[in-house]
Amino acid sequence: MRKTSYALALLTAAVLAACGGNGPRSGDQTFATKFSSQVSFGDSLSDVGTYAVGTVAALGGGKFTINGNNTSINPELTGKNWTELVAAQLSLPAPCAAQTGLQGNASQGFLVPVTLHAGCYNYAQGGARVTNPIGPSNAATGSPLGATTVPVTTQIANHLAKAGGKFKGDELVTVLAGGNDIFELLGELSASATTAGGTALITSLVTQLAPGTANPQAGAAAISAAAQAAAAKGGDATAIITAAITAAAQNGNTSAPANAAAIGAKAGADATTAGLAYQAAHAADLVKAMATAGAELGALVEKQLVGNGANYVLLNNLPDVSLTPSAKAQSADTQKLIAGMVQAFNDQLKAAVGSDPKVLYVDLAAISRDQANNPAPYGLTNITTPACDLSTAKNPLASSLACNGKNLIAGDVSHYLYADTVHPTPFGYALIARYDLEQMAVKGWL
Amino acid sequence: MKVRFNVVKLLVAAGALAVATGASAQSAGQWAVSVGANQITPKVESGAISAPALPNSLGDVGKDTRPLLLVDYGVTDNITLELPIATPYKHTLYGAGSIAGTGKLGTVEAMPPTLFAQYRFFEPNAMIRPFVGFGITYAYFMKETGSGKMTALTNPGASTPTTFSIDNKWTYSGQIGATVNINEKWIAGASFVKTRLRTDVHFSTGQTQHMKLDPNALMLTVGYKF
Repeated sequence: MRKTSYALALLTAAVLAACGGNGPRSGDQTFATKFSSQVSFGDSLSDVGTYAVGTVAALGGGKFTINGNNTSINPELTGKNWTELVAAQLSLPAPCAAQTGLQGNASQGFLVPVTLHAGCYNYAQGGARVTNPIGPSNAATGSPLGATTVPVTTQIANHLAKAGGKFKGDELVTVLAGGNDIFELLGELSASATTAGGTALITSLVTQLAPGTANPQAGAAAISAAAQAAAAKGGDATAIITAAITAAAQNGNTSAPANAAAIGAKAGADATTAGLAYQAAHAADLVKAMATAGAELGALVEKQLVGNGANYVLLNNLPDVSLTPSAKAQSADTQKLIAGMVQAFNDQLKAAVGSDPKVLYVDLAAISRDQANNPAPYGLTNITTPACDLSTAKNPLASSLACNGKNLIAGDVSHYLYADTVHPTPFGYALIARYDLEQMAVKGWL
Repeated sequence: MKVRFNVVKLLVAAGALAVATGASAQSAGQWAVSVGANQITPKVESGAISAPALPNSLGDVGKDTRPLLLVDYGVTDNITLELPIATPYKHTLYGAGSIAGTGKLGTVEAMPPTLFAQYRFFEPNAMIRPFVGFGITYAYFMKETGSGKMTALTNPGASTPTTFSIDNKWTYSGQIGATVNINEKWIAGASFVKTRLRTDVHFSTGQTQHMKLDPNALMLTVGYKF
């Protein structure tokens, strides 16, 4: 009996020893690499408030997402983009814009002096391109907003000037750019194609109408002059066609008014064909231009960042812009062209940084495609509809730049991917932050 | 030399005890207490962390070895009840699948108390006695500990770190092993235990993950019969 008691006593002691406080705990939240700061270069996807001034600020905007802390509506509506989430995860100060201000229309509140902020290291600006200083909404494009769109190459130069020409080496440097090069190049292509189409429209009208006039040579000149005058007044295709037919009739082509519909239809078809032909002929140039931009960004990373002492460059490639609502609203050919531009940019970017151990090349393009094909595991409930109400009445800028908790579309948009036709919601940004951090962990930086 | 002297003294004492009681080997009504080590190796088949997550975010669980105290009681000459007792096993959780390479994401301590009923072959005093056993197991998880990486992968930039808990489970284990009667009083034992264990991980973010752990355990012990 004595021995039995002894065995039981041992058992009891062991069980007791095993007890104690045993609930879940958060554990060590620090990481292997202690970053001193976060320095960000890029465009609207990384911008933390370059344009949060004047009317933009008054509209409750400033960042390219659903602005403001709306976590009371839904916990995902943090108003933060990925640079802010990554900085918070690394226990770094909240990023602030290195430059603020607008150079647009004063009467609309878009003229606010450009101010530099010494203690702020997020240089990313909405509309910024890789090297070209004129991006979307820059005053030079005629935009009343007057976005400063300081390109990445200048952003880096500005930081180096501020930091004494060198990185310390323990900064996390983030880069994400290229989207605005696509938008500007497409805009230019579209403008040129429209011009080509307009020329073809008038040529077609002249060719169809002049032979029926009393004096074909004089008739051709009169029709052409009338059509061009209508175009110069900003008339649409119908106005131009009407002007041409009227001129033809005045010059003796009596059957012209009766055949107006058929003549107009053919001229319109000729114009469309010419416009598309122009686009097709110049699409390759755009792909080439994007390849150049990708190589330029890669060279900036290698020469200006790593070459000046940066040891941790988080280089996001360009997400697949062809999947954005903006691109989805375009023709299938244009979507294909955009996809090709993204591919050309990323291929050159990747090649330029090679296997540099100081650069973490993150394939956001692949993730954006996976999100489009397989949204559910990401927690995405909608990948096509902008969460912001972009109608002029609700959003004068028709952009997420002026989107907040008060001008969203109806329903629960917390897990939508897009805030406007291009930019992610805070949830979409959180998915980028998560993937970047995952890749940093695999790289051994965390 | 003092240590050696103590060992000798212990052996003499043990021998004296053996002579004094003179009981036969692991027979009806007999207690035995063994010490040794137990290694638990989870054989993980992980489910994916539920949305929102990178698709196919899986987990893996490392093995752990702890000192073991084994208490045996002979119900009959052939049927033995066995209770292994150990300090909690500390297992490391790793990312796998699409998050492979992220390294250590957390730790958990596990206590899998199991009461085995064994059938031991041959006579109680046979030199080698193979046995098979069946056990009722309560898998108890505690001190589930997260990390910065776990927070980064589940709720990046959040003001509150991610925690997680693992469901405790009643389950069962199969055992196969053998004891060796070194002499009248001393025995050595080895056994392999397979436990069926499927449980769920609950993250503070609201995400869940189903885990098939089905651990293997290998116990090696030396014991003394009372």
